[in-house]
Amino acid sequence: MPPDMHLTWHDADGVARAVAFRAGQSVAAALTSAGIREMRATRRGLDGEGRGLFCGMGVCQDCLVELDGTPNTRACMAKATPGLVVRHQPFPGVARLPAGPVPIPDDTPPPAPEAVDLLVLGGGAAGLSAAIAARRCGLDVLVVEERAALGGQYYKQPSPGLDAPPLDAQHAQGAALAAQAESSGARILRGAELWGAFEPDRIAVFDGARTRLLAPRALIVASGAYERPHVVPGWTLPGVMTTGAAQTLWRSHRVLPGRRVLVAGNGPLNMQVACELAEGGATLVAVAEAAPGPATRLKDAIAMAVADPALATKGARYLAMLARRHVPLRHGTVLTRIARSPDGALRVTLRGAWGEGVHETDAVLLGYGFLPSQETLRALGAECVFDAARGQFVPRRDDAMMTSVPGLYAIGDCAGLGGAPAAREEGVIAALAAAERLGRTVPAAIAAEGDAARRRLARHRRFQAALWRLFAAPRTGLALADPGTVVCRCEEVTKGEIDAALADGAPPLGEVKRRTRCGMGRCQGRYCAPLLAEHLAETQGRPLDDRALFAPRAPVKPIAIADIVALAETP
Amino acid sequence: MMPREAEIAIIGAGIVGLCAALELARDGAEVVVLDDAARHAGTVANAGSLHVQMQSRFIRMYPDQVPGLERSLPLYVAAARRWAELEAELGTGFELKASGGLMVAETPESYEFLARKCERENRLGLTVEMLGRAELARIAPYLGEAVIGAEFCAEEGKLNPLLANQAVRRALLAVGGLLLPESRVARIERDGAAWLLHHAGGTLRAGRVVIAAGAGTGALLAPLGLDVPTVAEPLHMNVTEATAPLIGHLVQHAERMITLKQLAAGQCVIGGGWPARLAGAEQHPTVEASSLIGNLRLASHIVPRLARLRLIRTWAGVNTTCDGQNILGEAPGLPGLFLAVPGDAGYTLGPLVGRLAAAALQGRDGGFDIAPFSAARFRAAA
Repeated sequence: MPPDMHLTWHDADGVARAVAFRAGQSVAAALTSAGIREMRATRRGLDGEGRGLFCGMGVCQDCLVELDGTPNTRACMAKATPGLVVRHQPFPGVARLPAGPVPIPDDTPPPAPEAVDLLVLGGGAAGLSAAIAARRCGLDVLVVEERAALGGQYYKQPSPGLDAPPLDAQHAQGAALAAQAESSGARILRGAELWGAFEPDRIAVFDGARTRLLAPRALIVASGAYERPHVVPGWTLPGVMTTGAAQTLWRSHRVLPGRRVLVAGNGPLNMQVACELAEGGATLVAVAEAAPGPATRLKDAIAMAVADPALATKGARYLAMLARRHVPLRHGTVLTRIARSPDGALRVTLRGAWGEGVHETDAVLLGYGFLPSQETLRALGAECVFDAARGQFVPRRDDAMMTSVPGLYAIGDCAGLGGAPAAREEGVIAALAAAERLGRTVPAAIAAEGDAARRRLARHRRFQAALWRLFAAPRTGLALADPGTVVCRCEEVTKGEIDAALADGAPPLGEVKRRTRCGMGRCQGRYCAPLLAEHLAETQGRPLDDRALFAPRAPVKPIAIADIVALAETP
Repeated sequence: MMPREAEIAIIGAGIVGLCAALELARDGAEVVVLDDAARHAGTVANAGSLHVQMQSRFIRMYPDQVPGLERSLPLYVAAARRWAELEAELGTGFELKASGGLMVAETPESYEFLARKCERENRLGLTVEMLGRAELARIAPYLGEAVIGAEFCAEEGKLNPLLANQAVRRALLAVGGLLLPESRVARIERDGAAWLLHHAGGTLRAGRVVIAAGAGTGALLAPLGLDVPTVAEPLHMNVTEATAPLIGHLVQHAERMITLKQLAAGQCVIGGGWPARLAGAEQHPTVEASSLIGNLRLASHIVPRLARLRLIRTWAGVNTTCDGQNILGEAPGLPGLFLAVPGDAGYTLGPLVGRLAAAALQGRDGGFDIAPFSAARFRAAA
């Protein structure tokens, strides 16, 4: 059935065209479907191209467009609606006059925060599981989720309004979990922006109309993860996106990232997404996996299969499917360079022990693992430690998932990338602990579920440990960047500029930021700072402690001043 | 290698210490600057306002300091000019712009207050004038309807401190100054006619010392028997996404705590002295919800179009307060120790105060009588 709704797109030259979309699709999905990849200009215009969809989940702030007159709006987070006017975003945008009444300043302090037993930040596998368990213990629960759909990045539910059946069991499980959460009696704020985590009992959330200051008695952070950047020449070109972004395009919006797709990265998600896109009709140019083939690590493959035969079988099925479709799968292979070819395609260089090869493709998917979203945890003072094996900062937690801050729990991938099955168990464990901490008597049947969750969690962790031994590959960090390669996407700071700053007195991270502007942009340094911190640890011997990253401060993500000052009165 | 000896040591690599070091090193002195990069001092967090007219916030908060503020007024004029000279001397642009500054009033009473201040400042030699609603609508159409008038000072403006700090730092290194950025001085000890500085990387013996340690100055001097009551004042700042030219001036308020300006790259910087919180010496200063909301509520009231911009970042830095005036010159009873702590709007005063401290150390006349700014005033009070 052909789509019958249209928005209007104005390109960089101001030329307008109608773009068709299906109900429920995002603006980014609609533009991608129409072959529109560049969405905005940058300040410096390095590489001679602008930017487009990259993370697909509201983190990187690269797919900015002007939406019905509002500049710098994320296309991946905005829903396409009939008649919408979407413009290529020039730099800088233009501040329009505010539509609503001008706020009246007064010297009264902000209203008293709104009390709630348990606040859950994040409506993915971990957060929903925690909310359901907490409700069963009788807690008053509020869940804050940035997206319109529940389920998070693992379950990637079809975008609300999209008329499409679940693709597979993973979709169906997510739908079931979301339905259970909705009927649990937990209050759920969808499309809400967490913008300030000042104290564990002072959390600022914009609910779409007003800013609400929340004072939870216990707080569970389930903020998930985002893709680890793979910094190579050309990684900022429109058409290059994360594997997760492409999976969202397909699973939530039924749009392919391109006709020809090349996937490069490290970890099982890449193969899964390659299979999904191939099923959806894309031509897979190649799949490059940084780790050596499973045959070279049989012991770990067996340990993984013993810990969770079903998941291991799923992985084997993906391999078989790629082979059946004759998709070239290259193990021990890293993507080293992306360039624009004269005919507009992306020209990708892959390198492995076998040599070097160049492929042409329309879209490049980068999936070099993940980084935990721990900015809220850090802002609240939760002590984080560096996990050298996985190359990530993770909060220190006790057996009940509580961080170093009393009453603050961290669950799921934000606490160290344990995968969705583990996230669900952690949700149950943290919710029961929070209920006990708040003086509730946990019914025996629910306590027994907690014990079962602990047993299953141990098994999931064995599986994950074997999985990541199987997929272990060296992290390339900044080693593949040329002097002209952008390291900080937002402020367009190059590797050469960072090297020059480092050569001048070996400054610490904060000073590198002030000298180069690296990390000062819209994404708050989420992509560049962890890489740079690891680079400084290697080259200057600096400790990877709490101060190795930038100071975590409000806003959690950029938010309009009008939304901050639109304070709700305490109900 | 860590140096053990220096002709002149400077404690603090903020704008004052760097500028004092630059002046001395240019004159051929062997200068070592020590700093504690891990702590958030004023210079690294400064937002680059160039203040010239008296800030009504201080007049209201500390009426007893008004005579001192008036005495210091010529220094602010000279300091703003010194910044412009410095940019020209260094040959590196730091986006300095004498855009003019507006101190706005919302009520007839505060307009009258500004008019009296304007008259006094005119008598003291400052070029300032009062502007009514119609004139403001012409030169500052971005101001909200609530603003009924303003005091305009043409010499005020702004610069980009990130660029300025680096330009001065590089100039210092180019003339042979030595910078030890991660060498916090814990203690100063007398050693005959010289001074020993015990710092994170060892001990440095210096013939003469300039203390340009901002809020940390008092703690360094107390064990030497000199009470200089410097206080760390953690402050909150905000920056928006870039937008097309919107705010042409440095904007302040006659009664409320606000500074507004737009950087060359288009971001709007919102501040005004709203408090942040010190979370401990080794921690980043923390942003408070009430300051963030209050400061932005006021900003979008004064410039309504700000409401449509996104807030990108907030940060906190440590301002130094004392009695509003500079602390300059040789420390009483401590020969060879020179003090260089600027008064209110310390970043504006930085290059001038650095220059005056260098002149004092060399026994030269820096062009201003610094005797009123001696730390001896704290002794007299005690």
